[in-house]
Formats: sequence, structure tokens, C-alpha cells
Amino acid sequence: MDLDKDLSLKLLEKMLLARKFEEKVYDLAKKGVVHGSVHLCIGEEATAAGTVLALDKSDYIMPTHRGHGQALAKGADPKKFLAEIIAKETGLCKGRVGSMHTYDRENNNLGAQGILGAQFPISIGVGLSIKLKKLDSVVMCSFGDGTSNQGTFFEGLNFADIWDLPIVFVCVNNLYGMGTHYSDTCNISINQKAKIFNIITETADGNDVEEVYLKTKKLVSKVKKEKRPALIECYTYRWLGHSAFDNRPYRPKEEVKKWKKLDPIKRYIDKLKKNNIEDSKIKSVKEKVDKIIAEAEKFALASDYPTFDDSMEQ
Amino acid sequence: MREITYSQALREAMSQEMREDSSVLLIGEDVGGGYRGCFGVSTGMLEEFGENQIIDTPISENTILGAGIGAALMGMKPIVEMMFEDFIAICFDGILNQAAKVKFMSGDQFSLNLVVRLPGGSGNGTGPHHSQCLESIFMSIPGLKIAVPSNAYDAKGLLKTSINLGEPVLFFEHKKLYKTKSEVPEEAYSIPFGKGKIIKEGSDLTIVALSYMVNVAKESVLELENRYGLNVEIIDPRTIVPLDIDIIGESVKKTSKLIILEEGVLRGGVGAEICSQVNEKFFDYLDYPIKRIASKNMAVPMSPFLEKAMIPNKDSVLDEIKEYLKL
Repeated sequence: MDLDKDLSLKLLEKMLLARKFEEKVYDLAKKGVVHGSVHLCIGEEATAAGTVLALDKSDYIMPTHRGHGQALAKGADPKKFLAEIIAKETGLCKGRVGSMHTYDRENNNLGAQGILGAQFPISIGVGLSIKLKKLDSVVMCSFGDGTSNQGTFFEGLNFADIWDLPIVFVCVNNLYGMGTHYSDTCNISINQKAKIFNIITETADGNDVEEVYLKTKKLVSKVKKEKRPALIECYTYRWLGHSAFDNRPYRPKEEVKKWKKLDPIKRYIDKLKKNNIEDSKIKSVKEKVDKIIAEAEKFALASDYPTFDDSMEQ
Repeated sequence: MREITYSQALREAMSQEMREDSSVLLIGEDVGGGYRGCFGVSTGMLEEFGENQIIDTPISENTILGAGIGAALMGMKPIVEMMFEDFIAICFDGILNQAAKVKFMSGDQFSLNLVVRLPGGSGNGTGPHHSQCLESIFMSIPGLKIAVPSNAYDAKGLLKTSINLGEPVLFFEHKKLYKTKSEVPEEAYSIPFGKGKIIKEGSDLTIVALSYMVNVAKESVLELENRYGLNVEIIDPRTIVPLDIDIIGESVKKTSKLIILEEGVLRGGVGAEICSQVNEKFFDYLDYPIKRIASKNMAVPMSPFLEKAMIPNKDSVLDEIKEYLKL
């Protein structure tokens, strides 16, 4: 099934935005401008853009610690987001928490999670509130493959099932929890774990943005209609380290090569061209993103650092 | 005025808020069906408010607390009941890294109306996993407020305040207080955080006591005063975060002597914090070093003999006061 042209370009734009944004963050990190740690999702953009763009504005997200792509796809202002990452007071959270913990209330982003597994219990309360308030929304609770080994995951699946909660669990399965391969940590797949709790499950090629989008879209409408939780497991790969300065000795070269060939952005541009989308349209998306990033960098660098005030003491 | 129990006061506070606002929820193990709350605090609430407000859960403390946090992020006013205070250990992340930090981390985009009710305390042989007083552990976590009501009147007023405070509150209820009665107005009222109460005025000695230990202090002091003709001031801080250090300081200015009495263990206790603050602000008014009376640094035993040896009681407190005053 081919998507509407505007939607295709939107998917491309959000993937490119995530890629260029993170390349900028990586660049700034190497220059020492980023204080602290960043977890980059380069290589995983199709999963981030495809899942989040399947949501409505009124839906909620809870991104992972590697969540720049998800937050940007939901609408986070790149200026404020980059300012947050380089610890400026104009940042989304006033420059207090940086890359890993961004909340963005305006876009229903309820906070990215620095404690892996802590998102599941919280997502239950969000889902419960959506249900009690009778909102036509879902909450998208994202996590990595490694996090599915936390006990809170199983509690969350159980609560979502018994309370019939409108939660879409998204597993960004990038094969590794830091340096440990998923196959060394568990003998069953993540969607199998969810099936035990009667969760509607789906799997997707996480580097194929249209597949991720279409399957998630279908799940979201199913969750809204049937008032039941769902889970989608997207298989993808992070190109860079766990954090920006991880040299990745645990990665076989062949594996990296294989996945780089599956670059979700290059793949999608090739597909769009094959589908007769004009080069000029693609070029203008690229230019638009470049401009957004340049403006974001300018804004973030020019902003001030926050200063301590007594009200911060609690 | 009518008298009701501490349990009834808690139930009345929750019920009055729930009638006003359907976003007030009670979430926990056996709060609705079955037991109606392990200690009967929520008896009858399921019948009045239904399953949309009285929410029974599986035995999963992590998710019980998380459900409260998530609901509070969505603008609800959840009250989470830990069946026993000791069980909070299972969901420590939710307290330490989530609830306490949301407001700061979000750059003030979100604030939580979240109350965690914590039945604690010993004295009935329930042993090391069902008897602790853990206030002091949480006192050093920025972002939490902590209430320790010692009587039905305060329990009702502080719970109403907690439900609407906009910050996460740990609400410590002592199990031995549930059946104690005091005069409680029928209408709803709020007691502000950070305002202590003088339980009994006096000029010879100040005792700051927490929660159930207020009752123990009263009994010990009654005997002390009868025997020695002394006049002891007893102060109940009611909340320990924020702490009304001034009401304690003003009392010390009168009495020049201070004892802090709590049921939690001595080492690193609430008493240690109060002692330090008084030293920093009111040292010049003290005649004697400040004394802390607390439980011994050990797990709470089931054995009634060991339990009695560990936890302050009327006689042990009396002995310690006499020693302090060199009587």
C-alpha cells in the first residue's frame, strides 16, 4: 500500500529531523558543548517516526532514554530541545535535565525515562486516567529490548490486560542492552511475553518506516476501538554506541555493515524515488530540516545557562 | 463535639474529597472488595464511590505506586495505599526517582497531587516486615512532603491538605492509632503543612514526639509530673517535611532542654535532623545537650520481650527522661 504523498514526505522529514538533530548533538558532544551523557538513536529513526506519527495530537507518549526521535516526531520544538540538551535555561525543562529526561507537556510527552522499566508502572496510571476520563487517546509507552527483562514489564502487561487500558507498548528492539545481546538475557521474544497476557501484538521491520507506521496506525485504532492494550516490537539497530563515547567493542563488524545497508532514511528515499516522488520535493524536505537544525543550534548556543534560585530547594 | 477514631477520620477526609471531585482515587491492595482496606480504613467506600474511584489492585507495589504517579501526571488526585509501610521498599524507585523528582525534572511543567498512605509501626508482634517506622529514610529525599499525624483531628485535616497539595506526600499512619478517638468536626477542614502543635504547655522540658510516640510521651510525662512536680511541654510537629523548627525553638527558649522521641531507629533518625537544626539555630538557649529517644538499631522482632526492649514505651521513656534531668 502506498501512502499519501504528503504523509510520505512527513515520515521522511521526521526521520531526517531526528538524524540531523542527533548528528548535531553528537558534533556538539565531541566539541565538549554537551554536559553529561547522550544516547543517540541514529539508525533507529524509522521506528521513532513511524510509531509516533501514527498517533494523534491528543495521544500521549513516554519516550525511552534514547528518545530524541520520538519526542521530535511528537512535535517537540528542536530549538528548545537542543537548548535543553546543552543545559540552557530556554530548554524544554529549563536546562535542568538534558538529553535523557525530557518532558514536553505541550505535546503530551509525559517524560522520557532514565530508569529503565520505570515507565511501565507510570503508563498504567496514564492509561487508567485516559479510561476514567473517557478520553479518545492512547498512551504510547516505549522501551528497549533489554528493559523487557524488568519485573515492572510483566506487572505492566498484567495491569494493562486486567484493566483494559488504552496503552500501545512499543519495543524498540535494537538487539543490545548496552553491550549485552538480547539473546544472552532471555530465551523468548518480547512479543511472546506480551502474548501471555492477552496483549494484541505485532512485529515490524523497524527500519521500514512505512511498515512501522501502518502497523502502528492499525494498532492504535484497534486499541481505541476495542479498548484493549497492544504491543508492537520493531527490529532495528543503533549505529552508534550506548552513549556518545562508547567504542562498541562488542559489535561484530559484519553485523554493523549489514544494518548500515538497511539505513532507514536511504531506503525510504530510494523507495520514494521509485514511487515517482520528485527529487525537488525530497530536496526541499532536506533543506527544511537543515534550516531547522541551523536555527536550533543558533538559538541554543545563544541562550543563557540557568542560575540557582532558592525555589529549587524542596 | 463528637469523637471519632483515627480510621474514621481518614475515611471521612477521603470521602469528603471524593464527593467533591471524581478525580480523587484510592488505589491499593484490597482497598475495595474483600478486606475494605487491610485495617478497615476504606470500609464502605467501594459501595459509595464505586470501582472508578476505589481501585483494587493485584499485589504489585511497583505498579500500584506507578499507577498513582501516572494518574497524577494526568491531573488526577490519587491516594495510594501501601498495605503496610514496609512494602514501600518494593517501589522505592517510584518514590525516589519518579514522584519526588517530576516537578523539578520537568522544569515545573508537571506537579503531582499524590498521596501515599503508609500504615506502619510496631507493638503487635507483626515482626520485621510489617512493623517499621521508616520516616527518616524518606526525609532526605528532596521533593517529598511527609506527614505524621498523631490523632484523628490532625489525620483528617492533614489528609485533606495532602490530597490537594500539588506535591507528593508520604502520609505515615501508625497502626496503633487507628482505633484511638478524638474530637473531629464533621465538616471538611485543612491543616497546613509545616505547622506543629503544642500538645501540652510546660516550662521545664520540651519533648518533641512523633506519631504514636505523642501518646507515649503524654503517659510518661503524666507520671513524671505527678511524681516530681515538673511541667513538661510536648510538641507534635505533625509534618516533618516541612518541619516547624520555630515552634520547637520557641519552646526551647522557655525550657532550655530538649528530648526528641520517635519510634524509628535512633541512627540517622528524624531526631538526628531535628537535633542538628536546633543546634544550628537555637544553641544558645540550651542548658543541656539535646537527647534523642528512639528504637534500638535493629530489625523489629516478633518476640514481645525483644520488641518491648527495642521500642520506646512509657517506662523506658520515663527512665530516660529521669536520667536526662538527673532526677
